[in-house]
Amino acid sequence: MINFGFSISKPRAIDIDRNNLRKSSEITREMPELQSCIGCGSCTATCTAGNLTEFNFRKVHTLVRRGEYQGAYEEMNKCMLCGKCRLVCPRGINTRGVVMLIKRKLGDF
Amino acid sequence: MEISDMTFFASFCIPFIAGASIMFAVIAVKYISWLRNLPRKDWRLIAKGVFSMSTLRALWEVVRESLLHRRIFKVDARLGYMHMSLAFGWFLLIAVGWAETVAYLGFQWVPLQGHVFFKYFVPLNGITAHKPVFDFAMDFLLLFVLSGVAMAWLKRLRSRALGMRKTTNHILFDRVALSALWFVFPLRLLAESVTAAIYGGGSFLTGGLGRLLDSVMGEGALGYAYEPLWWMYSLALGIFFVAMPFSRYMHIFTEIPLIFLRHYRLRPEAMEKSYDNFEVEACSRCGICIDPCQLQSQLGINEVQSVYFLRDRRYNMLQQKIANNCLMCGRCEQVCPVGINLNTLRLNSRSSMRNIPHEGRYNYLRGVDRSLGEGRVGYFAGCMTLLTPNTMSSMKRIFEAAGEEVWWADKEGGACCGRPLMLSGEVDSARKMVEYNKSLFAKHGITTLVTSCPICLKVFREEYHLEGVEVLHHSEYILRLMEQGRLNVGREQGATFTYHDPCELGRGSGIYDEPRAVIEAVGELLEPEHTRHDALCCGSSVANTAISDAQQLKIAQGVASQLEETGAQTIVTACPLCKKAIARGATRQVADLSEIVARCIK
Amino acid sequence: MGYHTIVIGGGVAGMQCASELLRQGVAVTILEKESELGGKIRNWHKLFPTFTPAEEVLAELRSRLISSPNLAVRTGCEAAKIASDRVVLTSGEVLECDSVVVATGFTLFDAKVKEEYGYGIYDNVITSADLERMFNEGAVRLKSGVTPRRIAILHCVGSRDEKVCQRHCSKVCCVTGVKQAMELKRMFPGADIFNFYMDIRMFGPGYEEMYREAQVDYNVHFVRGRISEVSPTIDCRLQIKAEDTLTGRPLKMAVDMLVLLVGMKSNALNENLVAECGLKAQPSGFMQPRDSFLHNVESNREGIFYAGAVTAPKNVGESMNEGTAAARAVVEWLAKR
Repeated sequence: MINFGFSISKPRAIDIDRNNLRKSSEITREMPELQSCIGCGSCTATCTAGNLTEFNFRKVHTLVRRGEYQGAYEEMNKCMLCGKCRLVCPRGINTRGVVMLIKRKLGDF
Repeated sequence: MEISDMTFFASFCIPFIAGASIMFAVIAVKYISWLRNLPRKDWRLIAKGVFSMSTLRALWEVVRESLLHRRIFKVDARLGYMHMSLAFGWFLLIAVGWAETVAYLGFQWVPLQGHVFFKYFVPLNGITAHKPVFDFAMDFLLLFVLSGVAMAWLKRLRSRALGMRKTTNHILFDRVALSALWFVFPLRLLAESVTAAIYGGGSFLTGGLGRLLDSVMGEGALGYAYEPLWWMYSLALGIFFVAMPFSRYMHIFTEIPLIFLRHYRLRPEAMEKSYDNFEVEACSRCGICIDPCQLQSQLGINEVQSVYFLRDRRYNMLQQKIANNCLMCGRCEQVCPVGINLNTLRLNSRSSMRNIPHEGRYNYLRGVDRSLGEGRVGYFAGCMTLLTPNTMSSMKRIFEAAGEEVWWADKEGGACCGRPLMLSGEVDSARKMVEYNKSLFAKHGITTLVTSCPICLKVFREEYHLEGVEVLHHSEYILRLMEQGRLNVGREQGATFTYHDPCELGRGSGIYDEPRAVIEAVGELLEPEHTRHDALCCGSSVANTAISDAQQLKIAQGVASQLEETGAQTIVTACPLCKKAIARGATRQVADLSEIVARCIK
Repeated sequence: MGYHTIVIGGGVAGMQCASELLRQGVAVTILEKESELGGKIRNWHKLFPTFTPAEEVLAELRSRLISSPNLAVRTGCEAAKIASDRVVLTSGEVLECDSVVVATGFTLFDAKVKEEYGYGIYDNVITSADLERMFNEGAVRLKSGVTPRRIAILHCVGSRDEKVCQRHCSKVCCVTGVKQAMELKRMFPGADIFNFYMDIRMFGPGYEEMYREAQVDYNVHFVRGRISEVSPTIDCRLQIKAEDTLTGRPLKMAVDMLVLLVGMKSNALNENLVAECGLKAQPSGFMQPRDSFLHNVESNREGIFYAGAVTAPKNVGESMNEGTAAARAVVEWLAKR
């Protein structure tokens, strides 16, 4: 069983109707390129942090875009911001900017 | 008339007196509060430095930089002259003006306005015998300053005429102060000329203009203009003085204490502190930092350069998007005539905005050790180098050829060095990585640490404090192996290389010669137009989280095309990030320094 | 009719176009930069989805051209500048004509650019083109001479990748990857084949069926995720890292051989055609036909036509169809003139 630290007590289905997409659309408005993700997983595969712990950048930002915010800030805090993901992203997404943006929108700075 | 009866007051002096009083009061309040809030460590530095040679050296630098503006002359002679004529000229006007009062009145106390408006008070006090030497000197100096004012006007209209592609966009306070300052000297010229026309005196400038005005307007009209002109001159001064501590002109005085403090070894740090105020307010917003900024020249981004960053920070209106949008390539710092630590200030601004200490963060690093091999020499490839396997395999070949036993710190993946996180402002969290890596290095007992990544190198050297471990960039290490005769390389016949200085390696760590020496050992080196201290940034800097991929590419293409203009067959760099970036924009082969060495090993 | 058309490029599109033109009585000169006609599929083994030997198709195309007195073939020469009535060769020679068909095709993406995949660094990282060559040579072997037991095939190398300035999809790599997996499996029934893909785009007739066949009958493994890095293992195998995006977990495995499905890149010549000859190119670098529907084999300049992959990545069948269509458009234009 994969434990992402924030999925234990949550219902399995992503209920887009019930999720509040306000923050999600704020995030994609500020960084529209995030919507161009094709989910190839290069970022997660190359991730320095993901190599050492359970951290899946692709999954977290995708969940955030679906309005699933719980635990996302804590997950993003695992990122070391090393920038490898930005170097491999075939869509040219500013991944480090995404990490900081999500933390800013869902966190406290 | 007895000297003691002389008065040095007229009602038109009020704006000047009020303005000057406000200015000195505000400046005093500022300096006192900044100094009072200096951390104890900084005070100790001041106490240690104040009675040493540092003070004399600082004094000499004040003369060179605050008066003569040597560093601006280095940027452009026209700009240098403009700043010097205003600063040094005005200073001399005050100094010679003081000497003039002494020459007329001997050593006696004269109130400030008496010095400033001396030409007005001379006839008032019944002095009719003029001293032409002083008249000439003061006229000459006034002309000197006016020439600077004229150039400042020209610079506003056409910055290119003074060697600047772009000049600063100013805010309201600056515009008020700027306009007042522009009027101060022309008004002084008019007031003194009219005075000379009525009461005599004045040399080629004020005397000449006085005679001209006299012949054109007649004595009656001049009589009417006389008082209002002195009023306007005083008003212009007063307005300038009031606006001054709140505007860019605060730099006039602030640069002086800054120079002293800097000679006492005070520096900005990872966290904001009181000393930063001296640096921030010493910025004259000259805008010299704008032209070297590639975000401006390549991408047309206009609101993020150091001058605007410092301005926004000073007025507490700094936004994250401005603070984040900087490559931290250090090209602006290189030319800043005030020598402000622009990168460090931006970094500590970022940390004020984003540094949220988090105890549990990166706890997953505990106990992780994926390193391989054993040896006194440790090799830390760096995250990015894992994406340039040519560098990895070349380093392996070099180590083998030199017979070096190597401990591979992060070949199978390790923790980041922490610098990218620091660059984004999360200083406390970055410490976790620093501590982790330090303990890893200690555990494996290395005495030399080699890295291929200049980003790692800088943080290892500056933040890790690795006692008993020598930290080397692979360019330094390779050169050392060659010099020790442990690595024999042959020259590639006819091979030509050009070299791109990575920002963190060159400007960041001062390593310019070692990679060049290595290249010259294997082939011919052709220098690009912008090189060494002036080298361009590849655009992919981890310090910038604001620009897009397309914008990074555009900068890279600009850099690549300049490197290709050298005609060299191979573009060499010594940073995995630069390599990846430049390769995107280049049509020729791009190689890491280690690659060209590895293929020439004999 | 007495007309003369120059066909630039002697690949499948150019050959098909030339044979059609000859059939309609137009004299043709084919300019080919290689030493013989055939283009890219000269080095290809079998063609999807029917596993038809490429040589079979080429032989038929050659036979259609053979013994025509109206045909001149100039090999080893490249065009530098073109207009509807003349072609200037890189040698400076000028050839007169009445119309030109540009059938210059594409360039294979240089896999060395994606340094993290280790092509040119590690011995057993090869491209799809290398694999076809091995098929033609009759043996797929590791550098050590041993047969591979586990092979990974990576899709989208030099396609859909901003980092190498190749934004477009090369279209044929997906099905090529499936085809090559099946061929490898036929060769080494005991070997494990893993295809790493982002999206499987099976656009042609029989392709989807082939994909299914590879999955079910050939037991080829499909992993949805892009390989991010390749590194050597101690025993000289290749360690690859990807995310298995369908399970959301990082995936690591050691393989004996990695095949990179290199994409189609526009020719460097195209920049020249835009700068010197007044032709238009798309942002991808491929040439821009006058209209995508009604004039898709015509250029924006009268008398200059396109056929095949010069305008976009295409498979062999599509390229040949365009050769026919371009010939027809040329004849119509010549008659109308």
